[in-house]
Amino acid sequence: MAEPQPKPRELPYVAAITEGVRTVMQEQPDAFVAGEDVAEAGGVYGYYNGILKEFGPDRVFDTPISEEGIVGLGVGAAATGCRPIIDVMFMDFMGECMDEIANQLAKMRYMFGGRATLPVTILSMAGAGASLAAQHSQSLEAWICHLPGLKVVMACTPYDAKGLIISAARDDNPVIVVLNKMSLAMMGPVPEESYTVPIGEANLVRSGSNYTIISYGRMVHEALAAATQLEKLGIDAEVIDLRSLQPLDSDAIVASVKKTHRAMIVHEAVRFGGFGGEITAQIQELAFDYLDAPVARVGAPFSPVPFSPVLEATYVPNADRIVAEAKQQLGL
Amino acid sequence: MSSEITDDILLDIHRRMVRIRTFEERAGKMMEDGKIPGALHLYVGQEAIASAVMVHLSNEDYITGTHRGHGHLIAKGGEFTYMFAELYGKATGYCKGKGGSMHISNLDLGMLGANGIVGGGPPIAMGAAFSCKFRKTKNVSISFFGDGASNEGAFHEAANMAALYKLPCVFICENNGYGEYTPQANHQAIVDVADRAPGYGMPGVVVDGMDAVAVYEAAGEAIARAREGGGPTLLECKTYRYYDHVGVRGMGLSYRTDEEVEQWRLKDPIVNFEARLAEQGVLSPEAAQAIHEEVLKEVEAGIEFAEASPDPDPAAVTEDVYA
Amino acid sequence: MSLFGVVANPASGKDVRRLVARASVFDNQEKQAIVERALIGAEAAGASEFAYLDDPNGIVASAVRENGRLCAKPLDTTRTRTALDTITAARALKDLGCAVVITLGGDGTNRAFALGWPDAPLIPLSTGTNNVFPRLAEATLAGAAAGLIASGQLELGEVAAQQKVVQVTVDDERPDLALIDAVLSRERFVGARALLEPAQLDTALLTRAEAAAVGITAIGGLLHPLSPDAEGGLLLRFGPGGERLRAPIAPGLYKTVEVAECRAVDTDEVVTAQGPGVLAFDGERDRSLKPGQPVELKVERIGPWVVDIRQTLELAARKGLFTMAHSHARRQAAG
Repeated sequence: MAEPQPKPRELPYVAAITEGVRTVMQEQPDAFVAGEDVAEAGGVYGYYNGILKEFGPDRVFDTPISEEGIVGLGVGAAATGCRPIIDVMFMDFMGECMDEIANQLAKMRYMFGGRATLPVTILSMAGAGASLAAQHSQSLEAWICHLPGLKVVMACTPYDAKGLIISAARDDNPVIVVLNKMSLAMMGPVPEESYTVPIGEANLVRSGSNYTIISYGRMVHEALAAATQLEKLGIDAEVIDLRSLQPLDSDAIVASVKKTHRAMIVHEAVRFGGFGGEITAQIQELAFDYLDAPVARVGAPFSPVPFSPVLEATYVPNADRIVAEAKQQLGL
Repeated sequence: MSSEITDDILLDIHRRMVRIRTFEERAGKMMEDGKIPGALHLYVGQEAIASAVMVHLSNEDYITGTHRGHGHLIAKGGEFTYMFAELYGKATGYCKGKGGSMHISNLDLGMLGANGIVGGGPPIAMGAAFSCKFRKTKNVSISFFGDGASNEGAFHEAANMAALYKLPCVFICENNGYGEYTPQANHQAIVDVADRAPGYGMPGVVVDGMDAVAVYEAAGEAIARAREGGGPTLLECKTYRYYDHVGVRGMGLSYRTDEEVEQWRLKDPIVNFEARLAEQGVLSPEAAQAIHEEVLKEVEAGIEFAEASPDPDPAAVTEDVYA
Repeated sequence: MSLFGVVANPASGKDVRRLVARASVFDNQEKQAIVERALIGAEAAGASEFAYLDDPNGIVASAVRENGRLCAKPLDTTRTRTALDTITAARALKDLGCAVVITLGGDGTNRAFALGWPDAPLIPLSTGTNNVFPRLAEATLAGAAAGLIASGQLELGEVAAQQKVVQVTVDDERPDLALIDAVLSRERFVGARALLEPAQLDTALLTRAEAAAVGITAIGGLLHPLSPDAEGGLLLRFGPGGERLRAPIAPGLYKTVEVAECRAVDTDEVVTAQGPGVLAFDGERDRSLKPGQPVELKVERIGPWVVDIRQTLELAARKGLFTMAHSHARRQAAG
């Protein structure tokens, strides 16, 4: 009789982030953490708790509320031999530092003919659902995926949060790790040791035979819930968590579509002009002959994120909307 | 003053100024003749600042430049061959033809790039200064910027953070009286950018940016203070660009008078410096002339190198995006 | 009734001594506020018009815009952003017959003013770095003193004392002057101007040697105090063989200085020194001397008449000049 496997350790998403940062700080003496409220307060969502105590004020420090300055600090420090972990508290604040992200961080290596290395990791919190309204809830990954030179990853589980942070920090390129504030309490298995989640590899989170849902971030969980509902309609949906938007694992998308012949993209960001448009275009470019139905897209409506819980619930995509959209797409 | 300026330093500053002037005069003409693509922002008139600051620095000290950035790289030791090649967009340029005039850089010399974004440099210089402190080196980081950039939020954020963390950073404002084509009086309510220094909690100093010795002395103090852990300084150098915002004649806009340009030319940083060096017996007019000729030959060799260099392979367009 | 003058030096309080000597930046917004307060004081004390150096930073012009009750006359002077602007303004104010002039600056500013108008009637307000000549005073009261003099209610001679200067002669050039100290340093360049390298000092002639001041004057002051009221000057020859002392040669900056010779000199006694070197006046390097080029220095009481603000206001009070009855009578007399 086989010995019972010990139950794997589970951690909440927030603690997995902390463990990812801790691991990086332990492994990389040139790493430091800079951002608003990250040191004394441990971060507004607490995921830097204990980091200051363990690594000291030279390596973990509060910054002024100066996003352009904070990212600029990361750029200058990275170009001269450090490996900064920069916290941009809410993704919405990227507007404040977009010059540093878009014109300096993303482009410096190219502008310098490849003679600069910018190992900057930016952690930033996205996502609606907490009634934080229009300026603290957005999913703005389309902004940054449009900038050559950046890598963009989104973590939907505690496991991925830790692993992607470690991968990002080991990468010699600037990597933006987009986290989700509604997932902070979510539990999941997280190994205690250091490990990486490869950047650029999608994760097949549910196998299926005749339908593909491509998603990333918190919407992966809604897609999985929708897949369960779709089973009752005879749809055997495969769910792909992209995890990395730049670089994009086009091969995984195409392989799935070639198998299932029908695809839907689900993201929390505004549907119009969203990253789903890029994925759709790639599917028709690379797998047109395999498609049995138009590619469907589920995203937020074309409005800012509303405040009222009622409005917000209407705004954010969920499993029911995914199912409804799939039924419409397939004429069910 | 920390030390009396030696003859060697005087001659070093002189050569750097002549190298900038000669390079820029030639490059400007070539741009207007259509030999160099794109837009050049020429440093002519402002040579004393970069030259007199850079003699205090080693290759391990960092600088960020501006869109008017050739002078900063030349004074930091940039070679004309690779610089001209870059301005031509050749594969042999400092940036393999991918940056051009506005992004010219060389990390081996500690030059973290000219910058096409006004105010783009100060946060990066502040970050490099942080790096010096974090890695416990004795190096400093210098941000060159203009009066125009002093109105950018990026500058204020960088200045505040540099003072907050007491970073080895010197903010050197090259106040040439114009933000692009807008006179200073139309873009800020103050005349001395250094007046803002107390608001950041750092010393502010104004010097004559046309006088290399004045810049040398003031920058020397600020850099020494930064190296010793005393924190940042805002050093404002009053200067002037002889040519247009872009190129020599540029857009031909009537935003300043010829008389104004002539008045500033009377303060020419090189002509007056050479007169004083001659007076002091440090450099005779003949010897100065020989240096000009030598540098001109270096310029010609740089152009020759650039013209003989290959264009980038078109396939290289997507190389160097990622490490 | 005559006018008074206002000269504010935009460049004062910003030189390299901010770094070397921990002096603070004197920003031009504060200078503008000082001018505003002086104008309010002058108007309250009975002045009606003034002329001013229309400096390129617009310090006085901005103050006039904020507080325009007095008739303000900008002078048509140079705008070179050098001491020349102050010098030409001084000449213009003299030609206009100004009763008294308020200056904003440090020792360097007042020296430049005296170059244009050596025996000018001055109320010097300190907005510079090394302030031995101008003293700290509230601008409102300085303006009131100026108003009392300009409106003819008090005579200058009642409330002002003439100052000494060091007269400086190089070859056949027009004589130059210093208000506090003239120094020959062995440095070679004017550079960032501030005189901060004691090892290079050669000779200094002081009009006053103040123990309670900062600058070259303090070196003399710590050895052999000499008041501005006493006649004659103090000569210092630097180098080994005499006294060694630590002196505050700039704000927040003590340096060890070796003084080979320190002696009193009589008024009009000529002291000589020779180049090469740089001549510094009132703490600022000003010009270079060629090798062997001689300079002659002597102390004379031919300088500005400096108004004592406290004495002025107290005398005016004793004469009853601040009462409403007096003001009323004065306005009626003026018609």
